Amino acid sequence: MDIDVITAYLPRFWDALLLTLRIGWQGVALALALGVACAAAVHWKIPVLRQIAGGYIGLFRNTPLLVQLFFLYFALPKIGVRISAETCGKLGLGLLGGAYMAETFRSGLESIPLIQTESAQSLGMRPAQVFGYVILPQAVASSVPGLLANVIFLLKETSVFSTVSLMDLMFTAKDLIGMYAKTIECLTLLVIFYLIMLLPVSVLGSWLERRLRYAEFGD
Amino acid sequence: MKKFIKKFGIVFLSLTIAAALLAGCGAETAKTAEGADAADAAGAFRTLEEIKSSGTVNIGVFSDKSPFGYVDENGEYQGYDVYFANRIGEDLGVKINYVSTEAANRIEYLQTGKVDIILANFTVTPERAQEVDFALPYMNVALGVVSPESAPITSLDEIGADDQVIVISGTTAETYLEKNNPEIKLQKYDAYAEAKTAFENGNGVAWANDNTEVIAFAIENPGYVVGIPSLGSADTIAPAVAKGNATLLDWLNEEIRALGEENFFHADYEATLLDTYGKEYEDTLVVEGGGAEGAADTSAKQ
Repeated sequence: MDIDVITAYLPRFWDALLLTLRIGWQGVALALALGVACAAAVHWKIPVLRQIAGGYIGLFRNTPLLVQLFFLYFALPKIGVRISAETCGKLGLGLLGGAYMAETFRSGLESIPLIQTESAQSLGMRPAQVFGYVILPQAVASSVPGLLANVIFLLKETSVFSTVSLMDLMFTAKDLIGMYAKTIECLTLLVIFYLIMLLPVSVLGSWLERRLRYAEFGD
Repeated sequence: MKKFIKKFGIVFLSLTIAAALLAGCGAETAKTAEGADAADAAGAFRTLEEIKSSGTVNIGVFSDKSPFGYVDENGEYQGYDVYFANRIGEDLGVKINYVSTEAANRIEYLQTGKVDIILANFTVTPERAQEVDFALPYMNVALGVVSPESAPITSLDEIGADDQVIVISGTTAETYLEKNNPEIKLQKYDAYAEAKTAFENGNGVAWANDNTEVIAFAIENPGYVVGIPSLGSADTIAPAVAKGNATLLDWLNEEIRALGEENFFHADYEATLLDTYGKEYEDTLVVEGGGAEGAADTSAKQ
């Protein structure tokens, strides 16, 4: 282990971390938005939208991110659609994540027994009130652990970005090893930087989970 | 208490199953590793004797770099490097296990014992020579830059501040440009096939790689021109073995010298490279019998 090598490589890993985070959070945001939309379409059985959502979830949950990126980055330009590597990363992550998030939200919504809706209605609440005060808080509370797992999963999936020439953490390490063969140093830095990125997410998530517990029914 | 025992039982049972599965994997790896010996131990390599007695030699080659190392439509490894590798297997009297490698993990594969020999268009450089041992060279190479005919790049000065040049991670072209032209923005790919598609899609203004590569690319793909046919120093390409694997290294050097007697590498060129480069590059590219000077001589030849 050579400390000089580590210091020399730090800026590159830092840049990679920033890139990974920049693409990561935008991808996750897109995933959450898509997820809510699809879960709603499926849960309330909205015609047409529901079929579209079902098809989308089926397609993106059952193909690897690597394949999706290949398609976006290498195949689309052949038919004249040109997307920058970074946008491909965000889109790929968002589309993949959206399919997973949708399923998590849906399971949250479905975990609320029908009797709660009926009880709230019998108290004279309007549909919007039923949803806003009764269903949503509980659905969110019960999906938080799943959503968090998805976020961590998505951030780790950035390790396949090397395919589309994005200098994420994994590619930076591989690239430096290829050029200068300082394997131990690079791989140690790689592990440390992934932890720097993901440990706070885990901690924040556990805190969020505890905070939202209040809405859980019967506990 | 009863509840506790029940919970404990479930945990214990799951762990037992996990352990049993792991043990199964362990036994399997032990079986397959017989050929590769204790190769997984860091820094381990197999000596010439060990390779011979195991009956198999593991050779790392490219699977996507035509015409040097690639897999043809029948799933067979072919190319200039592979032609040589086949002869090595024949003369060692063992079977060859081809291991497909990428540019960036050639050194790794040797250091971790995943392969005995790398024959993947491996350019001899001082940095690499610190990590692995190179045998005598069998080919000449320099760097080259290919660009579209409509916007040819004939000098590195023509590359604008916002232009990106495509390189493959772990190649000499990448190291050269990082070191000598840090102002040029590089767009890096981890495999040849992806760099090629990206270049065809117009993602970069030029593609820098071994000049053998870019010449072949421009010959096979109309509309492209090698604006910079030679960049940096003239280098050589040689087989590499793990650092310190003296028996195998000596054998390889002896082999390359002996093959010079029968003009083996010219025959290799004619069998694998002639279609791509034609007769005119034969004497420029081929190094016969390890060249005049011998081991790891990186100074210019020709």
